[in-house]
Amino acid sequence: MINIDKYAYISKLRQTAPMKKLLFALLTLGVCLWANSIIVSLLVLLIMGWGTVYKGGTPFALFLKLLLVPMSFLVIGVLTIGINVSDNQSAFLFSISVLGTHIGVSQTGIQNATRLFFKALGAVSCLYYLSLSTPMVDLLAVLRRLKMPKLLVELMGLMYRFIFVLLETADTMFTAQNSRLGYSSLSSAYRSLAALASTLFIRAYKRSDELYTALEARGYDGELNVLEDPFQTHMTEYIAPVVINLFLVLTTLFLRRFTGGLLI
Amino acid sequence: MNDSILEVQDLQYTYADGTPALKGVNLGIKRGETTAILGSNGAGKTTLFLAFNGILKPSSGRVLFNGKPLDYSQKGLKELRKSVGIVFQDPDSQLFSASVYQDISFGVVNMKLPKEEVRKRVDAAMIRTGISHLKDKPTHCLSFGQKKRVAIAGVLAMEPEVLVLDEPTAGLDPSGVSEIMKLLLETQRELGISIVISTHDIDIVPLYCDCAYVLNEGKIILEGTPKEIFSEKEAIRSVHLRLPRIGHLMEILKDKDHFEFRETALTISEARKVLKEWKNGL
Repeated sequence: MINIDKYAYISKLRQTAPMKKLLFALLTLGVCLWANSIIVSLLVLLIMGWGTVYKGGTPFALFLKLLLVPMSFLVIGVLTIGINVSDNQSAFLFSISVLGTHIGVSQTGIQNATRLFFKALGAVSCLYYLSLSTPMVDLLAVLRRLKMPKLLVELMGLMYRFIFVLLETADTMFTAQNSRLGYSSLSSAYRSLAALASTLFIRAYKRSDELYTALEARGYDGELNVLEDPFQTHMTEYIAPVVINLFLVLTTLFLRRFTGGLLI
Repeated sequence: MNDSILEVQDLQYTYADGTPALKGVNLGIKRGETTAILGSNGAGKTTLFLAFNGILKPSSGRVLFNGKPLDYSQKGLKELRKSVGIVFQDPDSQLFSASVYQDISFGVVNMKLPKEEVRKRVDAAMIRTGISHLKDKPTHCLSFGQKKRVAIAGVLAMEPEVLVLDEPTAGLDPSGVSEIMKLLLETQRELGISIVISTHDIDIVPLYCDCAYVLNEGKIILEGTPKEIFSEKEAIRSVHLRLPRIGHLMEILKDKDHFEFRETALTISEARKVLKEWKNGL
């Protein structure tokens, strides 16, 4: 997660208006889910991969590695859909019989499973495109502009900021414990971990107190009002995302009309 | 003390658990000067600072800003905090936003100024503190020194009349210390603001400060120019502080090696002058 964050800040797409990136990602995500087609899903994967790696400058290996993250869930999910149980052996392409029933793979099962597999991969690539090109700060600014509840956006912002402080504190404490043999045996590891967790909680509480004081000193009145760095946006920038998605929709409709089976 | 922008009269403060932190502090912060508050750990420096802009309300005694006692109403505090800004010791507990730019803008936005003015002030504060290039970096990727500068910029952007800094040099490397202090001095000269710093970095006091107070166990025990307070060697040492290194060297040369100097010296340039005079006098 922290890696993604780092790459988002150095992405070549960083200066593109976050609203545009959000629109592009969500629109494409929607079309990918609606189309429910292997070809369209592959197209989405290709477009998002191209956007992230070529336009954004994210290393291809990283993008690939991130796509592998949801793989274990995906494989399990796909298997449960692809493998069916039935009394009728003729429904299956191949099957094994267990205790009088048949467990196997049917043609529709395979189709559904492959479709789901690529649909999920396409959808995930949309979100990776967004998170690898748009740092949290920009995303929060967009949410604020979209009139999301202020409290929610402020909370998200504070959490995001202090996750790093918390992790750093935890890391330092862990190293300090470890260097005093705090994790040398299982029982001492349990004890050390418990101490770490409780101390971390107290630290966090103290820090929130300090933060409040510091905010108060700068005139905090209940709302974290800040000035956002302006992004140069133009309506024409929204043309490309819309055109790409229009193309995807038309492709889907065309495929549905003229082809069938696995091609869809 | 009419030239004092901030004045503290018989200030007492006791924590909720009954521990007394300040036991009758009297001091004046002079307009346009740099004042150091020296004191060992736990002497009450931070508590004193929190009283400067009304975050802590004294148990007794009072704080005057521009000759008027502080107004602890919400409106009064808001006005006060525009004029007295505090930079806290740990920038991680001051910086609340992951965006450098947004964090610096926070205080100015709270002053309800027009957008263009906010933008102008934020940009100016970033240039002054030398962090314009960090504008697009996330807060958590900055070094400690950079975070410190962002924290200072966040308060400077509010253009306060008094800038209060709690341990501005703590945790910085030697060149970081002199850079921050030079930056503060420059800011003070150009904007004519008053600066108050707390520190136990003794050596910076004669270099950058016009006047100093020594706080011990909630009481002021010494006050005056750096030269004056460091001439009270016994008192300084009794409160876990020390002389500046150069001052200490000059003392040893004088007392143990029987050098005869006409003046004392606390900084390198002063020592150089005194030693040159001594050589010429041979």
